[in-house]
Order: sequence, then C-alpha cells, then structure tokens
Amino acid sequence: MIEIQVTITNTSGLHARPAAQFVQKAATFKSKVKIAANNKVADGKSILAVMSMGLKQNTQITITTEGEDEKECSKALEDMIKSNFGEE
Amino acid sequence: MVGVVIVSHSQKVAEGIREMALQMSAPEQKIIAAGGMADGGIGTDAFQVSEAIISANTGDGVAVMVDLGSAVLSTETAFEFLDEELRAKVQIADAPILEGAISAVVEASLGSALAAVIATAEGARTLNKC
Repeated sequence: MIEIQVTITNTSGLHARPAAQFVQKAATFKSKVKIAANNKVADGKSILAVMSMGLKQNTQITITTEGEDEKECSKALEDMIKSNFGEE
Repeated sequence: MVGVVIVSHSQKVAEGIREMALQMSAPEQKIIAAGGMADGGIGTDAFQVSEAIISANTGDGVAVMVDLGSAVLSTETAFEFLDEELRAKVQIADAPILEGAISAVVEASLGSALAAVIATAEGARTLNKC
C-alpha cells in the first residue's frame, strides 16, 4: 500500500473534467484507489464519489493505492494532479 | 464500450450536452444527440431517437438520457423500432439529463457494462453541488 499527500493546484479543483480524467487514469490500473480529504473517503475509480468530494483548489488530499501496480498508479495520479490536468 | 444517446425536446440542449460530454469521453466513444423535431422545432421524434440508438451501439448496448415527459414516451416508441437483439441492450436512465449524461459517459469510458453505466447515471440524482 502506498499513501501520498498531494495538493490540488488547478483552478477548477477536482470537478467535472479533471474528476473524469482522474477516474479514467485510475481505472487503467489494477490497484484499488482511495482519495481522502475533509474527513471523507472516496473510491478513486468512481466518478460520482470523486465529484461528491467537492475538492477545491488548494485542498490537500491523501491518495492511497493498493495492488500489484500501486507504485505506477500512485505516480501517474500524482503527476496528473501536479500538472494541473493540463489546465493553464 | 456502451454508447450514450441524449434525448431532449431541444436540439440545442441535446447537442450542448453532447458537446460537454465529449470533453470527458474516450476518443472512440459514441455519444449521439437526438434533440428536437425533424424540422428543428421543439419536441421529440421517436424515429430520430431510434436512428441515434443504432448509431450509438457498438455491440455493448446504449444508455439513453431523457429530459422531460414525452422524451420518455418517444424513447419507448423508438425501442419498438429496434430489432430484438438491440432492444435487449438499451435502457433509459432515470436521471437528470446533463449530470446523468456526463456521469454515464465517464462510466462508459472506463469500459463498464450497461447496468453499471445506468446505475452511475441514476446516482447523479443525489450529487450535491455545494
């Protein structure tokens, strides 16, 4: 199991398009993905769960990955958030 | 991949929702708008809906998102125009049309089956916005 802390830096937060990108990336890995923030935990492969978190810019989240490709999965999700989901 | 059809009384609404959904879809994903009447007026057209369902199906079935009232009726009529094999693989989502369509498209992009796509679309009913 790998646990990382990342801060959401893109302007619109983890909503709509970024949330979709996150879930789509997570789903390409076999590992289980969980996002925790604001005392809530969401399944990182469920679009409804991720959107329901209402994660705004500057929120620190904890991503937990668990499975055979947890290392790659954790890295890919971290890179995606740090690159601001391709937003300006 | 499950296809998604958007049935609205307004052509602009259906196309606008499709445009938004395309922002979150996989490249090969089928999202078809079936809005308004053949003459561009407000209404729903069962024939247009059935054509949209046929175009949206790539073999894994189609989730249909509807707006109000007769959109459901037209879609049910459209189902009757389909051959039996396809009819067994189409379903209307009892969901808000925009939130449901976006959620359905993302779920379908993950390669989920029709039942999961419909469940996610319907789950969008309880999505809190603020």
